Amino acid sequence: MKNRFKVLRAERDWTQADLAAELDVSRQTIIAIEKGKYDPSLSLAFKAAKLFDLQIESIFQVDEDS
Amino acid sequence: MKNKLSKNSITEKTKKNTKSLAIWTGTWLLSLALVAFGPVFIWDYNKAISLCAIVTNLSMGYKMIMANKQHLEDLDELQQRIHFVAMALSLGVSMVFGAVFGLLETVRLVESQPNASSVLFVMGISYGIGMLLAHRRYS
Repeated sequence: MKNRFKVLRAERDWTQADLAAELDVSRQTIIAIEKGKYDPSLSLAFKAAKLFDLQIESIFQVDEDS
Repeated sequence: MKNKLSKNSITEKTKKNTKSLAIWTGTWLLSLALVAFGPVFIWDYNKAISLCAIVTNLSMGYKMIMANKQHLEDLDELQQRIHFVAMALSLGVSMVFGAVFGLLETVRLVESQPNASSVLFVMGISYGIGMLLAHRRYS
């Protein structure tokens, strides 16, 4: 699964710690999601979509290569 | 961002739960030491006092288990997964090691009865290794 976490965060000038605090997760989780090493749960994905004010599918896309 | 300066609540919760877990683990260990050494050095094998010490130890153990449960419940989903991976490894290794360890005397590879508490060391070490591997995998 690919995601645009890093880009969306950078666009808003948020740090990983800021985003972690908003989503109520650890910074390690944000790092892992940004690196594509961890796919978040559906509830966390929806939370992120609400925070970024975007549709969930515009944040997360299926990685066709993997 | 509305709470840019506010602290991450999960970090605060983890800090609080870790402190609570450390306190109850320490208390449980002390009460276990009392059960082990009290009869020998303090109350000369008085059964009533030993029973009281055992009940205290079990109560402390219960509090420690509950503190650990709370600690795990308050972790975020990735942290829970990391612990899950570590627990799976620890349980598997302990079961495999424990099963063969118990047979060592039966098949006459060792002279003395194997100490069951050795499995606790295996459990702890494999849990630590599991945590390390899972952290590396997700970082």
